Amino acid sequence: MKTQNQKERSRRRPLGQALFKGAGTLVFCAGIIAISLTSCMGQEEPKPDPAGIATGDKTTVVDAGGNAFVVAEPADKSAPNYADSKKASDEFKAQAAKEPLAVKLADSVGHIRVATNFAWTLNTGYLVLFMQAGFAMLTCGLVRKKNAGHLMMLNFAAYVFAFIAYYAVGYAFQFGAVAVNAAPGNLGGTPTLNHFLLGNGLWGFLGGKGFFMTGPAYDAGSNVLALFEVVFMETAGYIIVGSICERINFWSFLLCELFIGAILYPVFGCWVWGGGWMSQLGNTMGLGHGYVDFAGSTVVHAVGGFCAMALSIILGPRLGKFGPDGKPRAFPAHNIVLVVIGTFILLFGWMGFNPGSTLGATDLRISVVAINTNLAAIAGSATAMLFWYLKFGKPDITMACNGMLAGLVAITAPCAFVNPTSAFIIGILAGLVVCVGVLFNDNVTKIDDPCGAISVHGFCGVLGSICLGLFADGTYGAGWNGVGASSYLGQAGKGVTGLFYGDTKQFLVQLMGAAICAAWAFGATFLVFKMVNAVKSMRVSKEVEQEGLDVPEFGFLAYPEDGVHFSES
Amino acid sequence: MKKIEAIIQPHKLEEVKEALIALGVEGITIAEVRGHGRQKGHSEMYRGVEYKVDFLPKVKLELFVPDARAEEIVGALTTAARSGKIGDGKIFVSSIDDAIRIRNGDRGETAL
Repeated sequence: MKTQNQKERSRRRPLGQALFKGAGTLVFCAGIIAISLTSCMGQEEPKPDPAGIATGDKTTVVDAGGNAFVVAEPADKSAPNYADSKKASDEFKAQAAKEPLAVKLADSVGHIRVATNFAWTLNTGYLVLFMQAGFAMLTCGLVRKKNAGHLMMLNFAAYVFAFIAYYAVGYAFQFGAVAVNAAPGNLGGTPTLNHFLLGNGLWGFLGGKGFFMTGPAYDAGSNVLALFEVVFMETAGYIIVGSICERINFWSFLLCELFIGAILYPVFGCWVWGGGWMSQLGNTMGLGHGYVDFAGSTVVHAVGGFCAMALSIILGPRLGKFGPDGKPRAFPAHNIVLVVIGTFILLFGWMGFNPGSTLGATDLRISVVAINTNLAAIAGSATAMLFWYLKFGKPDITMACNGMLAGLVAITAPCAFVNPTSAFIIGILAGLVVCVGVLFNDNVTKIDDPCGAISVHGFCGVLGSICLGLFADGTYGAGWNGVGASSYLGQAGKGVTGLFYGDTKQFLVQLMGAAICAAWAFGATFLVFKMVNAVKSMRVSKEVEQEGLDVPEFGFLAYPEDGVHFSES
Repeated sequence: MKKIEAIIQPHKLEEVKEALIALGVEGITIAEVRGHGRQKGHSEMYRGVEYKVDFLPKVKLELFVPDARAEEIVGALTTAARSGKIGDGKIFVSSIDDAIRIRNGDRGETAL
C-alpha cells in the first residue's frame, strides 16, 4: 500500500521522465548541429540577411505572366533554345546599357515585390495561427464537460511543444535544403537553406541547414517561411487531439507533439515541399509535375489524421464507448456553441491556409484559391447535412461542422489547380467521405475518434490529393516542381493537370504520394508509440478517466461551479 | 407545519409562481432537476449513435407552510401546474418538526 507521500511522488514522476527525454532530445540536436556544421565547411556560402536589407532586387522583378525583368545569360550551350535565349539576354544587356537608371529602379521594384509578399505570407500565417483557437473550441465543445480543461490544455500545449521541436530541428529538416529545388522566389529565394543532410540533388530526404532557426536561417526571408510553415505544422500537431482526447495522459501527449514537430511532419514535408524526392518525381521519373500538394491535404491533414489513427488504436477506445456487444454508445457534445464558433474560426483561418500558400500576393491566383476553398467548404457541409437528414431524420450539427471541415481539407491540395465547378464537386465528395468515415469507424473498425479527426483529416486529406490528380485543369502551375516551364503536354504555359484533363501520370503520382503519406504517418507513429506505450502506459487510469481528467491531471475543473469548492471571499 | 415539494414542468414555473404570490406565499426555493415518472424518456441520435434521454428536465419547488394553509396552496399549485398531458409532475406533502429564521432566531410558524 502506498503512503500519501509515495502516491504524490509517483504522480509527479512523469514530469521527471519528460525532462529526461527532453535532455535526450537536446543532446540529439547538438549532434545534428555538429554534423551539419562540419558538412558545410569549405564551401562558398550565400550570406543570410537578418536585417532584410539585401533581399529583393532587380532579379526578383517579374511581370504578371511570370517573365523576369533581368534576362539571364543562358548557361547550357547545348540546350535546344540556346540561340534564342542568348539573343534575348544580349538584347537585355544592350537596353540596360542605354537606360541605367531604369535598371537601378528595378532594384527598388524587386524589393517592393518581395516586401508585398512578405506581408502577405506573414499575415496569412497569422490567420492560420488563429485556427489554433478555432480547433481548441471545436474539440473542447465536442467532448464531455468533465474533460473541458484537459481538451483546452492539450490544444494549448500542442502549440507550445510542437513549436519547440520544430524550432530546434523540424524546420531545418523540412526546409534546410529548400533552395536546391524549391526556392521560394516570391520571398527572395532563401538561398542560405541549401543543404540536404540526407540525400542530395533531385533525391533529397532530409534538410540540414537552419537548426534552432539560427545561422543560415537567421535571415529575413527564412523567417517569413519559418513563421508560415510552423503554423502549418501546428495544424498537423493539433489534429491528433481530436482523436486521442479524454484518455491520453499529459506527458505522453507532449511526447507526441515533440515527435510530430521534430520528425513525423518535417520528414514528409521535406519530401513534398522542401524540394525533396517526392516533389522531383516529375524530373526523375517523368511522373507529371512530381507529387503536388498545394496547401497540404496530405502534408498537413493526412499526416495528422493518420498519426491520430495510430495513436487511437494504441490507446484503445474510451471507457464505455463500445458496449459488451460492440455497439457504439453516444457521448454527446457538452457545448455545441463552441463547436460551431470553432468551425467558423477554422473556416476564417483557412482563408490564410489556402490562399497564403502562394507565398505571395503578386500571384493573383489567390482569389481563385479563396473562392474554391469556400465552395468546397459549403458543398461539404450541405452534403453532410443532407446525408444525415436522409439517413437519420435530423441534420446533426456536429456533422454539419465536420462536413464543412472535410470540404476544406479535401480542397486544400487541389485549390489552386481546379475550376470552381470541380471545387464544388470535391466538396460534395468530401461531405460523403466524412459521413461514411465517421459511421465506418464507429461501426466497423471500432476506432474511437471523439471529434472525427481521422475521417475529416485522414480520409479527406487523401481524397484531396487524389482529386488534384483528377480535376487539375492545367490553367495554373506552369513549371511546378521544375517541370515543363516552357511547355507541358505540348502546350506552352500549361500547368498542373489531372486525369480528367489528359494527364494520367499526374493521377498516378498523386495516388502513390497519398499512399506513401498514409503509410508514413501511420507506420512511423505506430512503431514509435507502441514502444513508448509498452514502457509506460500512455493512458490515464480507469478511475481518472471516470472522474474526468481536469482535476487529476491539472488540479481544477474547467467549470468550477460544478464542484463544491468555494473559496473565502 | 407542512413541507410541500412539487416537481413540475419547467415552462409552468411562471404560472405557478404567480398563483403562489396571489395567495400570499412568501418563501419558495426552486431547483433545476431531471427525472421521470411513468412517462419514461425517449431515444435520440448523436452522430449516428442512438442514446436514451431517460431523465427529462423538471423544476422542483419547496415550500414550507402552516398546516392550515396547506390544502389551499396545494390546490392552487395543482391548478396552475396542470396541462392535462403526461409529464405534468407530482406534489408531495410531509410534516416538518421545526423551522428557524437564521437572522433573528424565530422558531415555529412565525419563522415561516
